[in-house]
Amino acid sequence: MFLELKQIKKSFGQGETRVQVLHGIDLSVEKGEFCVLLGPSGSGKSTLLNIIGGIDRADSGDILIDGERMSQMGEKKLTLYRRRHLGYVFQMYNLIPNLTVRENIEVGAYLSDHPLDVDELLHTLGLWEHRYKLPNQLSGGQQQRTSIGRAIVKRPDILLCDEPTGALDYYTSKEILALIETVNRRYGNSVLMVTHNDAIRQMADRVVRLRDGRIWDEQVNQHRVSAEQLEW
Amino acid sequence: MVRRRNSPLRRRLPRELRDELGKYLVIFVLLVLSIGFVSGFLVADGSMIAAYNESFQLYTVEDGHFLLPRAMNKAQKRAIEGFGVSLFDNFYVDTGLTNGSTLRLFAQRQQVNRACLMKGEFPQRADEIAIDRMYADNNSIALGDQLSDGTQTWTVTGFVALSDYSALFSDNSDTMFDAVKFGVAVVTQEAFSALDRTQLNYCYAWGYQKPPADEAEEHQRSEELMKQLLTEVEMEQYVPRYQNQAIRFTGEDMSGDRAMMLVLLYLMIAIMAFVFGITISSTITREANVIGTLMASGYTRGELLRHYMTLPVWVTLSGALVGNVLGYTVFKELCAAMYYGSYSLPTYVTRWNSEAFVLTTLVPLGMMVLINLAVLVRALALSPLNFLRRDLHPRRRWKAVPLGEFLPFFTRFRLRILFQNASGYAMLLVGILFANLLLMFGLGLPECLDHYQASIETNLLSRYQYILKMPLSAMDEGHKLESVLSMLSFQHAVETENEDAERFTAYTLKTLEGKFRSEDVMVYGMEPDSRYVRVETGEGEVYISSAYADKYQLQIGDRVTLREPYEDTQYQFRVAGVVDYIGALALFLPREEANDCFDLGRSYFSGYFSNTELTDIEEKYIGSVIDLNALTKVSRQLDVSMGSMMNMVDAFAVLIFMVLIYLISKLIIQRNAQSISLVKILGYTSAEVGRLYLWTTSLMVVVFLLSSLPLVYRMLTVLFRDVMMAKMTGWIPLDMGSAVFGKMFALGVGTYALVAALEYRRICQVPMDEALKTVE
Repeated sequence: MFLELKQIKKSFGQGETRVQVLHGIDLSVEKGEFCVLLGPSGSGKSTLLNIIGGIDRADSGDILIDGERMSQMGEKKLTLYRRRHLGYVFQMYNLIPNLTVRENIEVGAYLSDHPLDVDELLHTLGLWEHRYKLPNQLSGGQQQRTSIGRAIVKRPDILLCDEPTGALDYYTSKEILALIETVNRRYGNSVLMVTHNDAIRQMADRVVRLRDGRIWDEQVNQHRVSAEQLEW
Repeated sequence: MVRRRNSPLRRRLPRELRDELGKYLVIFVLLVLSIGFVSGFLVADGSMIAAYNESFQLYTVEDGHFLLPRAMNKAQKRAIEGFGVSLFDNFYVDTGLTNGSTLRLFAQRQQVNRACLMKGEFPQRADEIAIDRMYADNNSIALGDQLSDGTQTWTVTGFVALSDYSALFSDNSDTMFDAVKFGVAVVTQEAFSALDRTQLNYCYAWGYQKPPADEAEEHQRSEELMKQLLTEVEMEQYVPRYQNQAIRFTGEDMSGDRAMMLVLLYLMIAIMAFVFGITISSTITREANVIGTLMASGYTRGELLRHYMTLPVWVTLSGALVGNVLGYTVFKELCAAMYYGSYSLPTYVTRWNSEAFVLTTLVPLGMMVLINLAVLVRALALSPLNFLRRDLHPRRRWKAVPLGEFLPFFTRFRLRILFQNASGYAMLLVGILFANLLLMFGLGLPECLDHYQASIETNLLSRYQYILKMPLSAMDEGHKLESVLSMLSFQHAVETENEDAERFTAYTLKTLEGKFRSEDVMVYGMEPDSRYVRVETGEGEVYISSAYADKYQLQIGDRVTLREPYEDTQYQFRVAGVVDYIGALALFLPREEANDCFDLGRSYFSGYFSNTELTDIEEKYIGSVIDLNALTKVSRQLDVSMGSMMNMVDAFAVLIFMVLIYLISKLIIQRNAQSISLVKILGYTSAEVGRLYLWTTSLMVVVFLLSSLPLVYRMLTVLFRDVMMAKMTGWIPLDMGSAVFGKMFALGVGTYALVAALEYRRICQVPMDEALKTVE
């Protein structure tokens, strides 16, 4: 098992205002697996993603990635962990506004000893024509493609996607999902995608449903449906 | 009636203040210090100028004075008074004290130039004396101390300020006053009458019976009086009040300082206002969604504008008020002490200065409001939709500046930060220029004075210049025979056996009055094949001293026109060479030619150059000795007057520098907080983030520091020349040595390192969820 979550618990606030967000999550993701975390708002899926991403710490429990325990990692090691293993795709793209498309992707490339070829990736992402543009000159879809480029250029083991289509229209969303699917297939990264769009579950290998901070249902798809065929 | 409720937005203000405490605090401190200092300065300056101006009437300051070789007779006095002036005896004796300084003794004057008693009491007995307060300070003389000139001893009973010696110029042609080695004092009439009569200086003060209506009339009447005096008496010196440095210098200096201080304050306020402007515009970018939502909900632009203006206005207003309170208390004393450290001013009463309040409170506030208003009106002109979409430049789509891909990624990243923060960096450049100008002044002036003192030692024409004093009898045209005999005896008496001695003719001319005031130029008539200054000039040609060339920017081939001090006669010379001599403004030409030119007689000479002391000439024939001590008077006095102020200037410059760098780098980090957070999520270490976001500021600081040095030096040279031309006779080259530049750079970099350490900490503290919580 490449990524293993054991009894992850997390709460926010103190005393009377304390809210338990995650109630002991156990989850495993195989290398190259496409896993979708489904759930309504407040179910704890983004918190779980942040803990996996090393941005937030769990109150208890542990995460093992490629055999390494995250709970034993200090700040430096955690940074190294994110650097080596993770790629992040956000709902609102989070591009650096004063860098061009190419430079935003280079921000990711810098972190790897063996990054993908940036020019080739720009072609793959369909951004070659736009490589010298700033983020504010791009459409939402183009920005998200740039964001995906930045995440995958460093060949991460896991691609964490937090509602990557949440701010996009139907067609652009399908385009982006298709891109993530291509990336997953071509580069073999594990993909962990948080979404509340139920239709997306069909393109995943594994679907985990969260409700009130607990895994409510977990199922494995025998046959993945391609992004192009999704309808919602 | 509908009661208008306060905007709930104001509840954000204390929180904004708390969140941005660092920023507001440093701006507040800087405003308090600059406004406080300037306000204190203006109050002290205003109160002291008032005391100074009132002293003219209160102590009946002369309208001018002239010096005669002997006392006037009654007929001469009557004739002169017939020209519409009242004459008063203003006799004095210069006596060398055992402490190495010279004291000018006056009898207590009752009708003119009266003294202000600052402490103790006026002398009552012949062995008592009241001395100038500042001279006493500089020489650590206390009441009850004894002063002696070797033959007589006086007990100091009081400290005074003489109304005609607010600046202690021993000679009106001196480049600078000297409150260390020269002082003035009053003794009783009885004690004065007992002084050596041969040492008496027959000085007469005059007052116009009908005061001139204005300055122009004063000049005209003084010119006329001088012409009339020349028909009656033979004058050694003629000094109308408007030319008397001992009286005028103080007033002019205080007025000049005032203008300079205000310029500095407004520059400072403008910089602070722009810093506020930039931070506000960055806040608006950050809060675009909030603004858009508020506008969409019905908030007017005026309400938002007032909201964003409130803190800068409050900070400025409170800074100005606290500054004014400190100005009237702490800083006023400090500034008054600075003036009392330079000038012999009478006692003053603090006056409420409404102009100072306007200049230090309302004007800065107005500047702050205007500059911020301009920024805000422009920034808030967009529609709510533009704000909601974060489309803050709808008419201007920023395109990326093309950067070659051959540049390393980090370099391009840093260049993008540079472009993004160009306005902040421009402000930093202005701030660094301003701070460095102050710093160069603060560090450079003492160095420049030290350098002047050191170089003048190696730059002397000779170790001693003896200016001879012809006995009065040799000039008595009424008794020709006695005069010739006396002259022969004088010439014999001033012969010297010393082989170092070389004769020269000394003659004083004046520069023409123009934009700047007229000043003395010493003409040296040199021996052929001189050992001291070899002059090889053609007819009508002269060499000039490097001081003269530097100050008046003269070059070989230029023509200089000078005039007789008390006549209209003018002389024109062509500059044929420059002599490396910084001690005085001087012309050099062959002695024979000088004697011809000024009609002095072929064999005339009036002094000796010598590298060793002349011991075989009687003291009574020696008018003055120009040696190292005499030539370094200016630098010594400037050191005493300004030395303590320089440390304050340095500290203030470093503070400005620190505050600006702090604010600009804070702004850059704030602007990029989301990106910083993001790259941290991606796996960049804090060191790498620091290298990305601090490096650009570091580079800019170093570039600005280095590039500002020559620019600031150039600016200081121009300012320094202007001050020297306007305020001082003579010349001090602005030569401060390269160490000052090194010190300035080191101070700049050191200060930056401190701020950078703080900013690095701030970068480390940027939370990773920053990228997640804010919508792009």
